[in-house]
Amino acid sequence: MSAERTPRRPASLALRVTVFIGIATTLIFLVFGWIVERSIEHHFAEQDADELRVVVAAIRHALLEGPSERDEASLQKRLAGAVSGHHGVFFSVADASGKQVYASPGPDLSEISKLAPVSHVDANALFVWQDQQKTYRGAVVRIEFDGHVVPYTVIVAAAMDFHLHYLMSFQRTLWLATLLASFAAILAAWLAVYQGHSPLRGLSSKIRGISSDRLHLRLASNQVPIELAELVESFNAMLQRIEDGFRRLSNFSADIAHELRTPVTNLTTQTQVVLSKARSIEEYREILYSNLEEYERMAKMIGDMLFLAQTDNLLLKPERSSVDLVAEVQALFDYFEAWAEERGVSLRLDGSAPALQGDRLMLRRALSNLLSNAIRHTTPGQSVTISLASENNLVRIRVENPGSDIPPEHLSRLFDRFYRVDPSRQRKGDGAGLGLSIVKSIIDAHEGRIVAMCVNGRAVFEIALPQVEDSTD
Amino acid sequence: MKLLIVEDESKTGDYLRQGLMEAGFAVDLARTGLDGHHLAMTGSHELIVLDVMLPDIDGWHIVKALRDAGNRVPVLFLTARDCVEDRVKGLELGADDYLIKPFAFSELLARVRTLLRRGSAPVLADRLQVADLALDLLRRRATRSGKRINLTQKEFALLELLVRRQGEVLPRSLIASLVWDMNFDSDTNVIDVAIRRLRAKIDDDFEPKLIYTVRGMGYTLEAPGVG
Repeated sequence: MSAERTPRRPASLALRVTVFIGIATTLIFLVFGWIVERSIEHHFAEQDADELRVVVAAIRHALLEGPSERDEASLQKRLAGAVSGHHGVFFSVADASGKQVYASPGPDLSEISKLAPVSHVDANALFVWQDQQKTYRGAVVRIEFDGHVVPYTVIVAAAMDFHLHYLMSFQRTLWLATLLASFAAILAAWLAVYQGHSPLRGLSSKIRGISSDRLHLRLASNQVPIELAELVESFNAMLQRIEDGFRRLSNFSADIAHELRTPVTNLTTQTQVVLSKARSIEEYREILYSNLEEYERMAKMIGDMLFLAQTDNLLLKPERSSVDLVAEVQALFDYFEAWAEERGVSLRLDGSAPALQGDRLMLRRALSNLLSNAIRHTTPGQSVTISLASENNLVRIRVENPGSDIPPEHLSRLFDRFYRVDPSRQRKGDGAGLGLSIVKSIIDAHEGRIVAMCVNGRAVFEIALPQVEDSTD
Repeated sequence: MKLLIVEDESKTGDYLRQGLMEAGFAVDLARTGLDGHHLAMTGSHELIVLDVMLPDIDGWHIVKALRDAGNRVPVLFLTARDCVEDRVKGLELGADDYLIKPFAFSELLARVRTLLRRGSAPVLADRLQVADLALDLLRRRATRSGKRINLTQKEFALLELLVRRQGEVLPRSLIASLVWDMNFDSDTNVIDVAIRRLRAKIDDDFEPKLIYTVRGMGYTLEAPGVG
């Protein structure tokens, strides 16, 4: 069943090119040969017609020169002499009553005597026939004299076997040439394709050399034919993405290990120290509380990482429903109000946006992370502003706060997991450094975009979410 | 009040049993799906705490068997997979609530109490009273020793929650979820700030103090000498 479904591999490039060129060459040679053959044939017909015209003129001369009264014997003699020097030309002369006056020795010309007589020989109107396995070309010509009452009818014919022989051998040569040329062209095409693909084979062997620990290697696009340059560039771009992903992944694993090792080490050490001698109940309780906080932090980190892993693997799909962003922001302001007030930070909402199709819980979580992040980094006395706007099926959400400048090299990496602008600010207060990654993964799951900017000392996070049509399912 | 715990992880099972017993419940513990299934079908429990991932028969089968047999006992399921499908499936099969591992024990306790309370008729009072603290639910007003206390709407909602569930330790996440509808942990101490402000209004100028911090667990409101 699976074999049936497997689509057939397209024909090889060499085969395609070879077949195409083979067919094209053969056709070209055939047409060319046909044209040459036609023109030679026509040339022969002209030649024959010329010959016959000469003969007809001689006969006419012989008939004209004759004395006015009939003398058959001398006429026949004159006629017989008229064509001397013309080989392979035959003729017969009949008078008006149809009586044959003279017939040269040779084939039976009566075959064409029924044809309508013409006034002169035309190469295109010659009649071709066979007699005793020989081929002749001939015409019936009417000869009229000014003042002569009785016109003669002359049948002239020329043997054309030697023409045919020539044509036949020419045809044979032509066929052979066509065959050889096609074969040569096919061979050349195949060689060219094979030769032309050698840069591809070179590329392939280079690509084969790129293992996971050598992802930094790139292919040189100026060392391949121009047709392959684009392929090489796209391949390099893909390699770049893979390398980034790979590095991020291995950094992520290293970060996870590090993030978990630190609290586990703390817990172990702390517990061992406490157990090393007898202590009061109070001290034990203290250590358990301290452990509990550490556990909770780890549990939260694990939960966040699970969430990220699920969005990464597209396991978590937004359950879309209508989300009123204004109401969401108000609810979040409600929630964070007391905390922000205590930090001397005020919260402001600007603008509005129409309801959006999205996962309310996920969007709320994303906005909550951005908002708490903004509040945390705002100096007392300042305010955090969320502005909403919509344009062209896009809803824009800006979360901005005045605060310290974020160096530009950090901006693009803010959404990386465990990334911290200030590496010394580990752990305390800032959570595990997954908050912004979660925001990004939620926005990604909604097919939106998020960018971090720094404008005049204000940190700005701008989200653009597509206005998805209300689907009925 | 007898509860059934079905949990194959032995440490988790032991601690759940100990914790719930110390919270005043009688507890049966089943360590396999088959045992759990048998106990659930034959015993008379007020509530079942059910681990979904069991080695022999999974939690879904047990819930389904219970519901098919017409048994409406509340089921709280525990899942390690933070999966929407998992939750939806569990709730569709007739489970009543879920918790995602790792969870805080205080959270479990609060939810167990909520589920147990669900069966009984809600208290339709328009007044709540603890010691000299009185809440007028209709006019959303709080007084202490007859003195009017000015509370914001959310502060009143928070106080109402604490009063309604007095004596229970309410974890921060539960408070955030019930008062602000925020169903996720944030890295902030928003709840602590809110409680601190509420305390300043309710407790600072009055005796006895009513709101207590239970370290590592959450907050509780209690009249002295009652709990």
